[in-house]
Amino acid sequence: MRRFFRRGRLDAERASEMQAHLDHCVDDLIAAGYPPDRAVQEARGRFGHPGAIREEIYDMNSVPVLEPLLRDLRYAVRMLRKAPGFTLMAVVTLAVGIGVNTAVFTVVNALLLRPLPYPQPEQLATLRTVAAGPTETGEDLSTLDGQTFLALRADARTIDVAAQGSSGWGVGVNMVAQGRAANVRQTRVSAGYFRVLGIAPFAGREFSADEDRPNGPAVAVLSHGLWTRAFRGDRAIVGAPIMLRGEPYTVVGVMPAGFTGGGDTDLWTPLRPSPTGEGGGTNYALVARRRPGVSREQADAEVDHIAAPILARQYTKDTRVSCSLIPLQAGQTADIRRPLLMLWGAVGLVLLIACVNVAGLLIARSGLRTHEIATRMALGSGRGAVMRQLLVESAVLALVGGVAGLAVGWAVLDILTRLSAHVLDPGYPITLDARVLAVSLAVALTTSVFFGLLPALQASRVDVTGALVESGTRSIAGSRGHWWRRGLVAAEVALGVVLLVGAGLLVRTFVHLRGLDPGFDPSNVTTATISLQDRRYEDAQTVNRLFAASFERLRRTPGVEAAGVTLGLPYSRLLNMRFQRVEGRTADSPGGMTNLSYVTPGYVEALHLPLRKGRLFSDADRAESVPVAIVNDEFVRRHYRGRDVLGLHIQVAGGEREIVGVVGDARASSSGLGGADGPVITPFVVYVPAAQTGASLFRLVHTWFAPSWVVRTAGPMPGVADAIRASVAAADPLLPIARVDSMADVQAVSIAPQRFMMALVVGLGGVALLLAAIGIHGLIASSVSERTRELGIRLALGATAGQVMRGVVGPGLALAGIGVLAGGAAALAGARLLRAFLWGVQPADPLTFGAVVVTLLAVALAASVIPALRVLRLDPVRSLRAE
Amino acid sequence: MTLRKTAAKPGGDLLQGTLDMLVLQALRIAPAHGYTIARVLEQRSDAFLKVEQGSIYPALNRLEDRGWVESYWATSENNRRARFYRLTSKGRRQLRQESEQWDRLVKAIGLVMRPVEE
Repeated sequence: MRRFFRRGRLDAERASEMQAHLDHCVDDLIAAGYPPDRAVQEARGRFGHPGAIREEIYDMNSVPVLEPLLRDLRYAVRMLRKAPGFTLMAVVTLAVGIGVNTAVFTVVNALLLRPLPYPQPEQLATLRTVAAGPTETGEDLSTLDGQTFLALRADARTIDVAAQGSSGWGVGVNMVAQGRAANVRQTRVSAGYFRVLGIAPFAGREFSADEDRPNGPAVAVLSHGLWTRAFRGDRAIVGAPIMLRGEPYTVVGVMPAGFTGGGDTDLWTPLRPSPTGEGGGTNYALVARRRPGVSREQADAEVDHIAAPILARQYTKDTRVSCSLIPLQAGQTADIRRPLLMLWGAVGLVLLIACVNVAGLLIARSGLRTHEIATRMALGSGRGAVMRQLLVESAVLALVGGVAGLAVGWAVLDILTRLSAHVLDPGYPITLDARVLAVSLAVALTTSVFFGLLPALQASRVDVTGALVESGTRSIAGSRGHWWRRGLVAAEVALGVVLLVGAGLLVRTFVHLRGLDPGFDPSNVTTATISLQDRRYEDAQTVNRLFAASFERLRRTPGVEAAGVTLGLPYSRLLNMRFQRVEGRTADSPGGMTNLSYVTPGYVEALHLPLRKGRLFSDADRAESVPVAIVNDEFVRRHYRGRDVLGLHIQVAGGEREIVGVVGDARASSSGLGGADGPVITPFVVYVPAAQTGASLFRLVHTWFAPSWVVRTAGPMPGVADAIRASVAAADPLLPIARVDSMADVQAVSIAPQRFMMALVVGLGGVALLLAAIGIHGLIASSVSERTRELGIRLALGATAGQVMRGVVGPGLALAGIGVLAGGAAALAGARLLRAFLWGVQPADPLTFGAVVVTLLAVALAASVIPALRVLRLDPVRSLRAE
Repeated sequence: MTLRKTAAKPGGDLLQGTLDMLVLQALRIAPAHGYTIARVLEQRSDAFLKVEQGSIYPALNRLEDRGWVESYWATSENNRRARFYRLTSKGRRQLRQESEQWDRLVKAIGLVMRPVEE
């Protein structure tokens, strides 16, 4: 074996050794009296054939399998380099197919397949409740009410259970410890929660049953991240007090690094489940672990027995309720599972088409190489050798494509994760891992075997004499045997039409949403959100003193034009509340629901929200002055049919208020009340002065909503966030800011899911277009090469190049036409499925369809004409003699 | 392609593998280069074994590959660069084994052939 790799050098050495042998022999012969020239001849005669001997030794040193394989490899690389166009198309096709598949599989793997990071994750489960009845049917995953949870905890023998409270709407709570304030994300969990997940605290302990009941001791467990960040990893924190929402808590434990509980939790507090209040509805999420030796069926039976009768009370009497357990991971990912698997399916289809495309390219090539292969077989090359050589060639192609695909995969994954930042949150970073790598390699390999074998089988069945004597396939149009390839190309075009129409519609939706007039001027506006769910801010005067004190400094900051506070930012979800008319009230129309926000003077000014009528709030609107309200245009349209509402009174937010002004509409997110423009709506809003908001309303709304400071600067001002921080700190040094965003960011996040979906479909559409172009190009190119002789004859007989080219390009355009027609029909039907995702554009949008058809036909024309240009370079005489 | 079959075609048919043994034997006393080995084989057999001189090279390649001989370049008695071969200890063992086997074979054949005369 060692000699195998050194054969070249060994052979040279052997040659000089043999020369030395001959020289010695000649020396002897001359000494024996031979004349020099005869001596040389005689020596050669005695020695034998040096070349043959060297060859024998060379063969002796070779390894039987490796040797021909290396030769095949060299030959394959040479052949691929000789056809750069073919190689480039095949590699690009493979790279795109494999790359996109790898990236999407990585996301699917991270979100759906990778086991949860807990011991024995297969034992972890959550509740599935199925309701079936005449009025109510449906499925509830993981949620349950307090009574059911308490019953399961007390009676279940087959499973160990714990629960998690429903989390707030994205704004954390205020924590003050060691004289510093921070906004932290809190999750409430029952006693035994960490035990069920199988993760023990890194220091201290988890909650006891005694702490996990109403009015139990106030205790907290810290995440490792918060512990290192805020407490510098000091173990003495266990047992020490911290302030949460203005109340004292005792730290009892710290969780190990890497444990997040599936979300972004900074600290945990006891759930304190109860059968009433919060626990009266299905506001808890169950986490269960099957005990060792318990089968799924046993656990399901017990859960159904205990939980179903109690949960049935949440439904109407005639509804049949049944309960079972499903794997925890499936429960947590239920809402994204279907779209992700669909996406994966679509991408898998693209990969399949890519593979078939490459197979087509290879078949066309093997058709071109019939002559070469026949020659090789006639010279004694075995069928096996020819097949092996073709397989090696496609394996090399697949390998190069696979490596390029990995690079494409990295790039696509990077784009995917950046785009999905506000859409999918796995709770941990998504990286290409070994499993994904293995799958993508398997894809590359399977692909290679798949498309390598087909042409190899076809090629090895070559009729040697037929191909050599008649050069049969070269003289005719060569259409037979290509019908399925033509069908494939038409299908690719059709798929491209469908995906591009979808992409076009989503692009128009996105452009429409982004182009919607926000109703105010979002440039140079910065917002800062602060949680006031805090024991220290329970009365109205303290809250208003905080606002006033922070503005005092903020408004003096150079560059700040206006500043105010609002409960609900534009593009966010707003508080819904009932109001009643005072004037013009009738029995059937006493009032209705509206969005409500308290604001301070300066808020409307900071947004540049236009004042239509009346006046804005001022510092003169105080708790003891006349209660007032401002409404927006949409409110007047919706509830007063556009009449003049100034001076009218409404009963809202704790009293009767006079409407003193009307302002323009600012957009909100779709979860509020208002006219639907999709993810962005025009809400109808009542604004009330913060100074006239009562303590009970403050307490109530601050449980769910966090107010935002809104600051307008004269121009872009990098230090504005620090200015807000300093102003708030001047008013209350222990009040943390949860988040600072520019208004443009807030606006962008509101349509992030649309942007994500648009980018995905546009990307897939682009890939489909590319594949269709390659498919058409390959088909036309191979037909030109196969028909060289026929085209040569026609040129020789006086046909012009233009006539011949038309004949070659025609089939490509015809196929594209068929594909566009079929794809257009499919897209027309399919676009209706997209209706739920479209705003500001009709599913049958003529502009989109027109643009897609023109694009595809143009691409098809280019893809047909480029290979057909070879006809122009055709020399009739040479093409006829080529055989 | 048939040229390749240049294996030893001596006057008497050389038994398979015998050439290897003869080459080893030729190296038993002292290291030698290819020409010397070929000459030794011719002279010792009284030119009965007319080995094509070149055919010892595949044998040498094989022997060296098995580690029975090793080679080095040196200056020959004619003042020419030549590649010398010498027996390794492994090769010596092999030679001893083969010559014992050869003796037994010759004896056995002799026993079979002799009774005719008795």
